[in-house]
Amino acid sequence: MKNRWITIALIVILTVSVLFISIYQTRQYENVIRVTTATSLYATGLLDKLAEEFKRRYPEVSIHFIAVGSGEALRRAVRGDADMVLSHAPNLERQYLNDGVLKSGGIFAYNYLIIVGPSEDPANIAGMDPVRAMTAIYVAGEEGKAKFVSRADKSGTHARELMLWSLAGVNPLNKQWYLELGADMVQTLMVANEKGAYTLSDVSTYLKFSKRLGGLKTLIEKGDALLNVYSVYVVNSAKVPGVNEKLAEAFMKFILSEEGQKIIEGYGIVEFGRPLFNAANGDPKGELKNAWEDIAKLG
Amino acid sequence: MWQELTDIVVRSLLISGMATVLATSWGIPITMILTVKESKFRRALLDVANTLVAIPTVLIGLLLYLLFSRSGPLGFFGILYTPTSIALGEAILITPLIISLSASVLRETKTDIWEMAISIGATERQALVVMVTESLPKLLTAVLLGFNRAIGELGVALILGGNIKGLTRVMTTAIALEVSKGEFELALTLGGILLFVTFLVTVIVRKVGRDL
Repeated sequence: MKNRWITIALIVILTVSVLFISIYQTRQYENVIRVTTATSLYATGLLDKLAEEFKRRYPEVSIHFIAVGSGEALRRAVRGDADMVLSHAPNLERQYLNDGVLKSGGIFAYNYLIIVGPSEDPANIAGMDPVRAMTAIYVAGEEGKAKFVSRADKSGTHARELMLWSLAGVNPLNKQWYLELGADMVQTLMVANEKGAYTLSDVSTYLKFSKRLGGLKTLIEKGDALLNVYSVYVVNSAKVPGVNEKLAEAFMKFILSEEGQKIIEGYGIVEFGRPLFNAANGDPKGELKNAWEDIAKLG
Repeated sequence: MWQELTDIVVRSLLISGMATVLATSWGIPITMILTVKESKFRRALLDVANTLVAIPTVLIGLLLYLLFSRSGPLGFFGILYTPTSIALGEAILITPLIISLSASVLRETKTDIWEMAISIGATERQALVVMVTESLPKLLTAVLLGFNRAIGELGVALILGGNIKGLTRVMTTAIALEVSKGEFELALTLGGILLFVTFLVTVIVRKVGRDL
C-alpha cells in the first residue's frame, strides 16, 4: 500500500513538471518573425542559412519558418498567422497584393523549373521549348504513349504547370493519362518514376533525390516559361492585425541586401556541385518583374 | 545534429505527455460519471466517443487552427505555433480514445466490484474509490494507448505547430519534412527512434502499473 502511494506521488510530480516545462517553453515568444514559406524553398536549407546570418546582427530575434505550399502560405498570412511570406506563385501573390494583405515585396531569387520524364522520352521532348513540349506530351498522351503526373496541390510548381498547359492551348484535365496527385514534390517524382511519366519539378528537389529516380531524366531545363521567381512579402499590418511588421521588414531588407543576395547566389555549390538559385540582385533590367507580371496575368 | 535530435525526442515526449495528462484529467472523470450514473445518454455518448476515435488528425488540426488563428475566436491567446497548442490539439484528439477504452474497463469492474461494495454497505463514494483503485492498472493501459496515439500523430502537430525548428518540431513532423526533402534514410532512422522511444515508455509504464 505504501508503495502504491509513492508511485502515485511520483506520477503526479512528473506530470506537474511536464506541464510546467511545456508552459515555460511557450514563454520564449517575443521578438519573433513568423515566415510562411514554400516547402521546396525551405527544404533546400537556404532559409536557415539566411536566418543564421541575419541573427548575427539581431541576436534577440527568432525566425520561425512554417513550411507549407505557396497557396497555404498566403492563406495563413490573410488570417494573421504570418509576418512574412516567401512564395513562388505570382498568380496567387497578385491576388493577395490586390486585396492589400501583402504590403511591400520584392523578387529575391530565381531559377528554372525542369521537365523530367522517362529516359526513353516517348513524346520526344528533350531539349524542346517548354510550351511546345507540353503540346507534344498532350499529343503523345492522347495516343496512349505518354503519361503526366501533376502535383495538383495549389503549390507554385502546380500553378506553373497549369500555366504551361494553358500557354500550349491544351487542357489535360480528366484525361486518363493525366494523374492528379495532391502530393508534394518528392512523392510526385516518385510516382512519375514508378509510372514512367513526365512531370514538372523544381531543380533542388530533383537533384537531391535523383539517385532514387533511376527511370527519370531531365529533359528540359531552359526556357522563359520555366522561369521560377521567388518573392518575399511583408504582411500588411494595417489590414491584418498582430503582424510584426518592423522585424519582418528588417529581415526582408537583409534578404534583398547585397549580403543576403551573395548568400543566395552561392548556396548549394557545396552539396550539389552547382548553385540552386540565382540572386535577383535588385533585378536591374526589370526582366524578372516582367516575367512575374506575365505569370501573374495567366493565373 | 545529435543535439537537435535529442531536443526533438524530448520535445515530442513532453508535448504528448502533456496532452495525455490533459486528456486523462477530463477523460477519466467523464468516464466515471458515465459509468456510475445510469443515464439514457450513456450509450449515445459512448457511440459518439467511439466514432470520434476515427477522426482524421488533420481535421482536428484544421478545426483548431481556425480557432487559434490570429483571426479566429481564440486568436488573442496567441498560442498558435506553440508546443502548448499541439498539446491541446493532441489532448482533444486522444480524449475519445481514452474515454472509450476506460469505459469498458470501468464497466467490467463495476459489475465485479461496485455491486459487491454497495451490497456490503459501502457508500457510493466509497464504492467509486474502490472501483477506480482496483482498475488503475487497466486504466493506465488506456491512458498509455492515448499517449501512443498522441506521439505518433502528424496532422495536429503539423497544422497547429507549423513544424518550426527548435520550437514545435516533433518526431512525426521531422519525419514528414525529411520525406519531403527526399532524405528517406534519415526519415527511417527517425521513425525507428520514434518506435523505440514509444516502446521504452510502454515498458516503463507497464512496470509502474504492476506496482499500483
